Amino acid sequence: MKKVIYIFNDGEIKRKDNTIFFETDDKKSYIPIEDVSDFFIFGEVTLNKRFLSYISQKEITIHFFNYYGYYMGSYYPREHLNSGYMILKQSEYYLNEDKRLNIAMEFVNGSYKNMLSVLKYYINRGKDISDIDESIKNLSREIPKCFTTNQLMGIEGNIRDIYYKSFDRIINNKDFVFEKRSRRPPENYLNSMISFGNSLMYVMVLSEIYKTHLDPRIGYLHSTNFRRFTLNLDVSEIFKPIIVDRLIFSLLGRKMITKEDFEEDMEGIILKDRARKLFVQEFDNRMRATIKHRQLGRNVSYRRLIRLELYKIEKHLMGEKPYSAFVSRW
Amino acid sequence: MEDIKINGTLVWYYYICKREVWLMSRKIVADQDNKFMDIGRFIHENSYGREKKEISIGNIKVDVLKRHKGNVLVGEVKKSSKFQESAKMQLAYYLYKLKEYGIDGEGILMFPKERKRIEIKLNDKIIADIKDMEKKILNIIYKDIPQEPKKIKYCKNCAYSEFCWS
Ligand code: SF4
Repeated sequence: MKKVIYIFNDGEIKRKDNTIFFETDDKKSYIPIEDVSDFFIFGEVTLNKRFLSYISQKEITIHFFNYYGYYMGSYYPREHLNSGYMILKQSEYYLNEDKRLNIAMEFVNGSYKNMLSVLKYYINRGKDISDIDESIKNLSREIPKCFTTNQLMGIEGNIRDIYYKSFDRIINNKDFVFEKRSRRPPENYLNSMISFGNSLMYVMVLSEIYKTHLDPRIGYLHSTNFRRFTLNLDVSEIFKPIIVDRLIFSLLGRKMITKEDFEEDMEGIILKDRARKLFVQEFDNRMRATIKHRQLGRNVSYRRLIRLELYKIEKHLMGEKPYSAFVSRW
Repeated sequence: MEDIKINGTLVWYYYICKREVWLMSRKIVADQDNKFMDIGRFIHENSYGREKKEISIGNIKVDVLKRHKGNVLVGEVKKSSKFQESAKMQLAYYLYKLKEYGIDGEGILMFPKERKRIEIKLNDKIIADIKDMEKKILNIIYKDIPQEPKKIKYCKNCAYSEFCWS
């Protein structure tokens, strides 16, 4: 199984013969290229065109994060799986308002149902959040009544606001209060973790999109403007609650990350190096964890589940099978 | 849809899975990480090194093409004889296409792993079968959606399996 290579150290990465070589001040290491699915680069890394062309040939994506851990951009080799047919279908479903709304609704459905599944887990563990569960269920009845994707975005936003209210009661730690959602800059520890986790999710989905025939620039819930990737934002909505939020609860619950792990910078509150590495490592573990897939009749990793989700979208666009979002059952 | 052409690959899959024919025709290529695809590619690249040559004739590609005792000999390398019917028809199809270019040829199927070879010659019966098959393949391709997936033995090792069964 190929894996994501996360690079935190500063150094130079290059092609050496038929493999990859990473050199820091005090360490040299080889990374067998056949084992790499993508790179997530957090450190200050020097690379050259020869390296990029090797990476492109192997169809590997590279995602760059800046000093603060914010996503900067990706090196996305020229689309290798090209299907003119699929791009036409993807555009057709974007341009037709009904068709677009239909898919966007399913993203919102998947998203809120997975929020409920997170809440259910904590309700079963005695957390007093039934009222939030109830409010989300009530609000969800508005989803099918939407006429435009803007309305839908509105409902989705409302659901998310209510959902975040559960965080304080679940985490129950005065250092990590939610207050309000603040993105850039994140104004407190919890928001900083949410932002960081979400960006890992976006990037992971982007990498998977690259391995399908879909174009990441054409999203349905998030408006497309062709300048940025949006389909990955759409699909991430489904997975954020069960991957990112659960991860945060677990890191805080086990006191693996505390307020000492943050610092305030010009960019707001950011995770220090140690905690960032830990977060990424735990995120990676979650992506590799497997669950039983009924139709396939075998175990698949969460990462694979993202790919399957994209395949389902492709089948929807082909007119073959209506898309129905993944909903976690625990 | 413009420019749909039948090729050897579609013929091969026609005898295995009609759904796959449709997917291929739309260039919805299967999962490149699939390990079975790699094995196929490996065998293809590493067998019969001396004779190996890929030559395009119109929109078809043949693996080995050489003159043999005054005849043109077309060879096709396969990893196993499990799908012999597919392989035979695929090679027969190549011969048929060559004939359209005015070249008479004979075919030989090669299964390097099993050290097995099968010879193929065109005759009226095979030509009639090929014409019929061409029509049926076009029929599949011109449909708006593919045939629903049906679980067959091949699915297990098929590079499309995650696509079909997600
Ligand atoms: S997985 Fe099965 S149904 Fe799907 S293309 Fe392959 S053989 Fe056909």
